[in-house]
Amino acid sequence: MARVRQLVLSWEAGLVVLTVLIVIIGQSADHDLISSFNLQTTALNNVILLCLALGVAPVIMTGDIDLSVVGTLALSGVVMGDLMSHGMATGLAIAIGLVIALICGLINGLLVVLFDLPALAVTLGTMGAYTGISFLILGGLAITTFPNSVVSLGSSNLTGTQIPFCVVVVLVIAAIMAYLVHFTTWGKSLFAVGGNRKAALFSGIAVNRVRIITFVISGFLAGFAGLLFLGNYETAQAGMGASELLPAITAVILGGVSAYGGTGTIPGVVIAAVLLALLQSALGLHGFSGQGQTMAVGFLLIIAIGAPPLARSARDWSRRRRAGVVEIASAGAGESKGGSAGSGEAVRSTAVN
Amino acid sequence: MSDQRSSDADDNAAAPVVELRGIRRSFGGLQALSGVSMTLRRGEIVGLLGENGAGKSTLVKILTGVLEPDGGQIVVDGEVRRVSNPRVARELGIAATYQEPAVFPDLDVAENLFAGRQPTRRGIVDWGAMYKKAEEVFREIGVDLDPRTPVYQLGIADRQIIEIAKSLISEARVLILDEPTSVLSSREVDSLFVLLNSLRDRGISLVFVSHKLDEVKAITDRVVVLRDGTLVAEKPTSDVSVSELVQMMCGRAIGDLYPSLTRVAGDTILEVENLTRRGYFQNVSFSLRRGEILGLAGLVGAGRTELAEAIFGISPPDSGSMTLDGIPYTAVSPRHAVRVGIAYLPEDRLSNGLVMGMRVPFNMTMTVWSRIANRFGRFRTRVMYRQSAQLAERVQLQAGRLNQLTSSLSGGNQQKVVLGKWLATEPRILILDEPTHGIDVGTKAEVLGIVAELAASGVAVIFISSELEEVRAMSTRLLVMREGSIVAEFATPVDAHVVLEAASGVVARQES
Amino acid sequence: MIADVALSATRRGRVRSLVRRSDTALIGLIVLITLVATATLSDFRTLSNINNLLNTTALIAIVAIGEAVVILARQIDLSVGAILGICAYLVGSWSGHVSGPFGPVFGVLLALGLGAAFGLGNALLINVFKMPAIIATLATLSIYTGLQIIVNNGSQLYLTQVPKWLAGLRGNAWFGIGTFIWIAVICLIVVTFILRRTRFGRDIYALGSNPDAAVYLGVKIRVRTYQIFALCGALAGLGGLLYTSQFGNVDATAGNGMNLTVIAAAVVGGVSLFGGAGTALSAVLGALLLGEIQNILELTRISIFAEQTLQGAAIVIAVAVYAVVSRRLRRPVRREAFLSDHPTLDTAAIDAAGGASNG
Repeated sequence: MARVRQLVLSWEAGLVVLTVLIVIIGQSADHDLISSFNLQTTALNNVILLCLALGVAPVIMTGDIDLSVVGTLALSGVVMGDLMSHGMATGLAIAIGLVIALICGLINGLLVVLFDLPALAVTLGTMGAYTGISFLILGGLAITTFPNSVVSLGSSNLTGTQIPFCVVVVLVIAAIMAYLVHFTTWGKSLFAVGGNRKAALFSGIAVNRVRIITFVISGFLAGFAGLLFLGNYETAQAGMGASELLPAITAVILGGVSAYGGTGTIPGVVIAAVLLALLQSALGLHGFSGQGQTMAVGFLLIIAIGAPPLARSARDWSRRRRAGVVEIASAGAGESKGGSAGSGEAVRSTAVN
Repeated sequence: MSDQRSSDADDNAAAPVVELRGIRRSFGGLQALSGVSMTLRRGEIVGLLGENGAGKSTLVKILTGVLEPDGGQIVVDGEVRRVSNPRVARELGIAATYQEPAVFPDLDVAENLFAGRQPTRRGIVDWGAMYKKAEEVFREIGVDLDPRTPVYQLGIADRQIIEIAKSLISEARVLILDEPTSVLSSREVDSLFVLLNSLRDRGISLVFVSHKLDEVKAITDRVVVLRDGTLVAEKPTSDVSVSELVQMMCGRAIGDLYPSLTRVAGDTILEVENLTRRGYFQNVSFSLRRGEILGLAGLVGAGRTELAEAIFGISPPDSGSMTLDGIPYTAVSPRHAVRVGIAYLPEDRLSNGLVMGMRVPFNMTMTVWSRIANRFGRFRTRVMYRQSAQLAERVQLQAGRLNQLTSSLSGGNQQKVVLGKWLATEPRILILDEPTHGIDVGTKAEVLGIVAELAASGVAVIFISSELEEVRAMSTRLLVMREGSIVAEFATPVDAHVVLEAASGVVARQES
Repeated sequence: MIADVALSATRRGRVRSLVRRSDTALIGLIVLITLVATATLSDFRTLSNINNLLNTTALIAIVAIGEAVVILARQIDLSVGAILGICAYLVGSWSGHVSGPFGPVFGVLLALGLGAAFGLGNALLINVFKMPAIIATLATLSIYTGLQIIVNNGSQLYLTQVPKWLAGLRGNAWFGIGTFIWIAVICLIVVTFILRRTRFGRDIYALGSNPDAAVYLGVKIRVRTYQIFALCGALAGLGGLLYTSQFGNVDATAGNGMNLTVIAAAVVGGVSLFGGAGTALSAVLGALLLGEIQNILELTRISIFAEQTLQGAAIVIAVAVYAVVSRRLRRPVRREAFLSDHPTLDTAAIDAAGGASNG
């Protein structure tokens, strides 16, 4: 009984409710939202965002962040496109592109974990660097012809159905990620490391390894997203996919992954991505431009991250007004033992982490 | 009383600045302070003594506005005041410095002194005035420090001086120093004492909270001793001897709190030779036998935690060697240590011991997650629940607590979870660092009982504790560390004052 | 680049601050590169190239100064590019309404005010919604970019619609030096003054160096956050004004990509991403250095596309160097050496002497 209650009141359930609401409202407004054609288009437009989000989610769960995924997407996409346009065998070109994506992720992991540099700064820099390299490779050119296999991966449907093949593929990836995160030891370690890195380290968990692996996976999935991009839009262009960063991060945060690490679920991220997709589609049908939809995503991110603490501080404020005594935590040494005064040096309050 | 009292009228000198009357405070079921009254007067240094848990830090927190008392009054300058937050305390002239000084490392000394209250001239910051005032202050208190130095260049002794100077500039009348000397070398301590004396001569009321009895004797005018939340003694320093102080602090006889220990003389499992970590401990050598509880006593800053962390692989030593069951052992990482059978229960369970956001079974089995996984890495939740139920039983954690969020448990129960986590590894060596810190008496007894049982079953235990009574009662053999070296070894039972003297460096003259 | 401070551990600090030394090193580097480029690249030393370089750099420097202020407080602002873009359009089209000598005044005030307003929006999210700056400004980046598109309404602002004084600003020179450069220098002086000489400025450093201690000591973090982001936004707005003058036509993509550029400029110039260290001059020097390198890369046809790679790599390298160096520089907080001879005090002697020695 308790578990059912837990499930019903969970964040994910809330997301499902929101999604259903959007469908109802959107359908009544425009009658087209859940038509098979529109669903197909919506799905095609958003698989990349989901693919990126699935990779970024574990990184954020461990308390880090990866902004460079769009750079990796652009770089491996451009490499794959370029190689293919020069006649290389499709399979080989894809393999090389994915390996490059893996390396991009590995570089991030090494810099952040082994050199102990702030993930935000590093991935901000590598985002620029990887995107920049895609420019160095392709310049202003665009590649528009691709082998059939790639195009069908990105755009066509599962034989005999209306369901795009890539959607199935990404959902399979989601299932794999869900298994890894929720059913394996590595997954549990993610939550431990994100919840309290020191405690995890002291308990014998291979913290460095866990963190580096998240970056590698993030890079790999970004590379795969690049492949999907090629087939989906049939274009390879330097700097491609840059606009997917915000939606991907929004999907992760909206999906219940705390920005500070330690909580979240993969199904939540998937539902959030679906929600975002439907929202953008509904807005589009209703006349909102592409950028208008992005703005909506921005607002949604604000609400997703801002609502819980706002609610909490509202509750705290009213509770404090009713009570009398204020107890302030921190700012005192422990009973003569260690324990820095609450003003120690190692502080990460709001921003750059 | 000391004759350095300023030559102002005696009334003025003896005027109370802050009075605490009948202060009471409890946490949950624990009564931390029950009716403590004390007076702080102008121009004196009062030593505040007491064991861990005696209530010293709670008293300090109440004085500095971090906590409010449940009962009693705080009287400042004759008026009853409510010190509801640190800002109020500061405005009333009450300041405190702690072991880890709160400074702005990127800014220079002068700015650290004036942070938040820079002198201005017509609205703009007057650096000239700031440097001048800083130099003035330093000259007044006899400190040689260039105010233009960026603080990140300074060591902790200098940072402490900055903290003290800061309180002077904010015209504090009461300055509380919480264990100020635990991270200082003896030469730095001497300089600090010169500074404290000059502060006293300026009429500031200083509260010197410390375990180091020799220093307390050297610098204070009056001592106040707390024990179990009550004030047991208040005397002029010159009227008490160190041994009397120890007696007052330790108080009651060892009661039923402590389990009886089986003294098994097992074979040696760990040999430590000349272990050194620059700045923390040097040339530490000892051996550890199966089934024994090796107590490690000492004052804060003696290096015991660092030694434990070195053995466990958190911060490997610079030199020295260790042998585990005859095989050479290098402390590489906590993972490695766990694999060879060493377990470490860290001092601060909140920041180092538990992932508060996870439920109890996860925390309880965290050390053996790799064993809970099957061949393919799948995490077998059912196995975890079974194991954690078993462990809960071993640590006497009630079953109802089992699927809760760790953060919702009481301190004592949380500590049990941590203990359970380490029992799960079936260690050969268990290092406990302040295992009963901040937990209630009942749970304390249970935890200590479990430790005794473990030892009886053959586990080698290293028991680190700053509570004199506890470490004496729980050890089959006792080592004392001071300033990074092992200075004494005792067979238990041993008298409290003997241990304390070894820990503080006071050598008792032969009683005639 | 970052640190060159004397490592002496004496109590008398010899060096005033970390940044001064690194500023000198940077200036030296810039001068060196300029000399080499002037000597070897004929394209470099043409008047038009120098002019172009200085104008572009001035614009970036102004926005980078604003970003530096934010980074100093241990925050970050990813939305500066969008703020610049919107202000570029709005200032360009609205300042035409005020003619005569008040035109420029109105234009500048409008740019500063609009930019500050957008900056306040960022701070609002951080303060009220308790969002980490990185995510807050990521969100506002998209929102402001969207506003930018709405405002442009599908077309763009044409040079002909822009008031004369604004259009001609770029070409003008006062006392022989281009107006852009003057404006950049004025911003540099003003912000340096603010950072060094006002409580607001010193609070920024305190917040960046140790936020907890700052709050504990009474720094009003919420108010300061509003002020910090408003200042950054205002400078981005001013950059927008210059942008309109520089490029004439303003469309919905104005300012794209500016974010990485200004962060790179600030970071390369010596503003630490950890907060608390750096100055406005750092941002300007960083902008100069990166701008020059970019220019040279273009001229030598290594690639006109190297920009992002350069900036991205620069950030990573700067962060790594700073982290490594600052770790080496900071004294360990524990005591250094044990003095093996701590005197053991004789209790009886102490008791007999009656307590405190006078030190």
